[in-house]
Amino acid sequence: MPRFRGLLGIFLLALAGQLSGQDLKLVKNLTVPPDSEVQFAAVSPKGDLVAAACKDGRVRLWAFPSGEPKLVFDLTDQPISALRFSEDGSLLAVGGVRGAGKIWGVPSGKLKLEFTVGTRIEAFAISPDRTLLAISRQEMPAQLWDISVGRLITDLPAKFSGSLAIAFSPDGQRLASADADTEIRIYEAQTGALRATNSDFLLETFAIGFSPDGKNLYLGGADKTISALDPISGKTVRTFPKQSFVVGDLNISRDGKSIAAAYFDANGFSNPAPVLLWDVATASVRTTIQQNGFTANGGQFLNDGRLLLTSSATGMLQVWSVR
Amino acid sequence: MPANRPALTRRAILEQCVALGSVAIVAASPAAAMLDAFEQHEKDYHRPTPPNELGPFYKKNAPVTSTFRAPGDPGIPLVVSGQVFNTRGDQLTGAVLEVWQTDHLGHYDLDGYRYRGKVALDKTAAYKLDSVMPGHYPDRVCQHVHFAVTAPGHKPLVTQLYFGTDPVFEGDPDHNFKRDPLIHSRELVRPVMLVGDPHDIQAAVRFELCLEIL
Repeated sequence: MPRFRGLLGIFLLALAGQLSGQDLKLVKNLTVPPDSEVQFAAVSPKGDLVAAACKDGRVRLWAFPSGEPKLVFDLTDQPISALRFSEDGSLLAVGGVRGAGKIWGVPSGKLKLEFTVGTRIEAFAISPDRTLLAISRQEMPAQLWDISVGRLITDLPAKFSGSLAIAFSPDGQRLASADADTEIRIYEAQTGALRATNSDFLLETFAIGFSPDGKNLYLGGADKTISALDPISGKTVRTFPKQSFVVGDLNISRDGKSIAAAYFDANGFSNPAPVLLWDVATASVRTTIQQNGFTANGGQFLNDGRLLLTSSATGMLQVWSVR
Repeated sequence: MPANRPALTRRAILEQCVALGSVAIVAASPAAAMLDAFEQHEKDYHRPTPPNELGPFYKKNAPVTSTFRAPGDPGIPLVVSGQVFNTRGDQLTGAVLEVWQTDHLGHYDLDGYRYRGKVALDKTAAYKLDSVMPGHYPDRVCQHVHFAVTAPGHKPLVTQLYFGTDPVFEGDPDHNFKRDPLIHSRELVRPVMLVGDPHDIQAAVRFELCLEIL
C-alpha cells in the first residue's frame, strides 16, 4: 500500500486489538541505530533475509533468523518508498520518493542496476527469471524495464494518474498492474502488450498478487473486499466477503491455500485495524490477528509455509511468526 | 532595475531585442507583424494548473451533479466555481470534471457517492459546485478537494484545491503552504471569500482548471 506510505510517511499494516499469544510469537529483535526508526520492511521469500527501510534513508539488511547485520544501502539523496526481493531472494530492488531506484544483489551487496523514473516509486515487481522489472509510479504510468541491459521497454499507461501495485505471474508470462484509475490491466510480460482489462472496480486497488499456480489474480483495495480475477480473460471470478476496513496489502501462501490481508481504517490510517488470514477454499476468515500496541510494517509467507510479520519498536525491528 | 530608469514596455523590450540581435526574425512578414504575433501568443498562453496526487479514495462512475450539499448538511456551505480551458485559452466544454472530497468531519464516503460527482460544465466550460467546506482528513495536514479533469486531445489533470483559510497556514499560506508535504505549489491554495452574514455564512472559492494540450 505505497500510497499510504506517502500520506503517512510510514508504512502501516495496522494491527491492533487482541491476539492470543499462541497465534503470534516474537521470534527476533533486530537492533537499529537511534533516530533510524524502521518505516517498513520486507522479508525474503526464503526467510533468510530481512530488509528494513529506515527513517534515516538507509535500507538495513539482516540475516534471519540469526539477526546478523549484513548490509546497509541507500539512495544517496532521498527517503525510501519501495522495497522488493526477487522470488529467489538474490535481488533487492529499492525505490525512492523522488524516483531513484537501485537493484542490488544480496547478500553480495553488488549494485546491479541504477535508474531514475521521474517520480515516486510506489511498488516493484521482479519477474521470476529476474530479467524484468516492473515499476508502479506515482501519478505516472507504470513501467516495464529489462534488468539485464538497464533499458526501459515500455510505459504501461492508465487513463490518468499512475499505478499502485504490480505483480508478475509465477510463469513470468503475465504482468498485472492495479492502476489509480481503478482499472486492472494485464499485460504480456515480455513486451508490455495489453492483453486484458478489468473495469469492475469502482475504487482503487492497493494490493495485487498471483496465486502460486498462476490461475488466479488476487487483489484488494478501497472496496474492502478481496477479489479473484482470471488472469487470461481478466474477468472477476470470485469475491470474498466484504469487511469494514480497506485492504492495504495481500500476501498469498506458497500452497495457495491462505491469503494474509492487512487492513486499514479509511477514517484514519493509524486507527486500529486487523490482519486477517483467509482460507481460500471457503473464502472465510481463519484467523484474526490483533494485539494491542502492535503495528505490523511488513510481512511474507515463506516457502516453508510460515507467515512472518514485522513491526517497529523503539530501537528495533521485531519479527513475529504467525501460526 | 535602478530606480531612476524608466520601465520599458513589453513592446519596447521586444524591439530592443531585435535591435541588439537577441531576437532574429526570419519571415516574409514585416518585423512589426511578427512582434505583434509573438506578443499575442505570449498573452494567450495560460499556465497549466499544477497537478497534485490523486489520493487513495477516487471512485469512478460518480453521478452527474453540481450539488454535493444536501439540505441540512452540517458544515460551512462552500461554493467552488471556475472554468475549464487549455493553455491556449480554449474553453473545454467537452471536458469531464470529477470532484470528490470529505464531509465536514473529514470522512470520505466509500460505500456511496456523498460529496462525489461529475460536475456539469456550461456552454463556456464554467462550473459551479455547491458543497461544504471539507473537514481535515485524519492523515492529511490540510483541508482539500480533489479534481480530475479529462478532455480529448489534452493531458489529464489530477489536482487538489486547498484553502487559504486553513488553520494550518496560520493566515500566511505564502510562507506556510509546505506544512502539508503534499502541497507542491502555492498556486493550489486559493483565497476564500466569505459572504452572507454571521448567521448564514458561506465560503466561495474560484479554482480555474487549465489543461495542457497533447
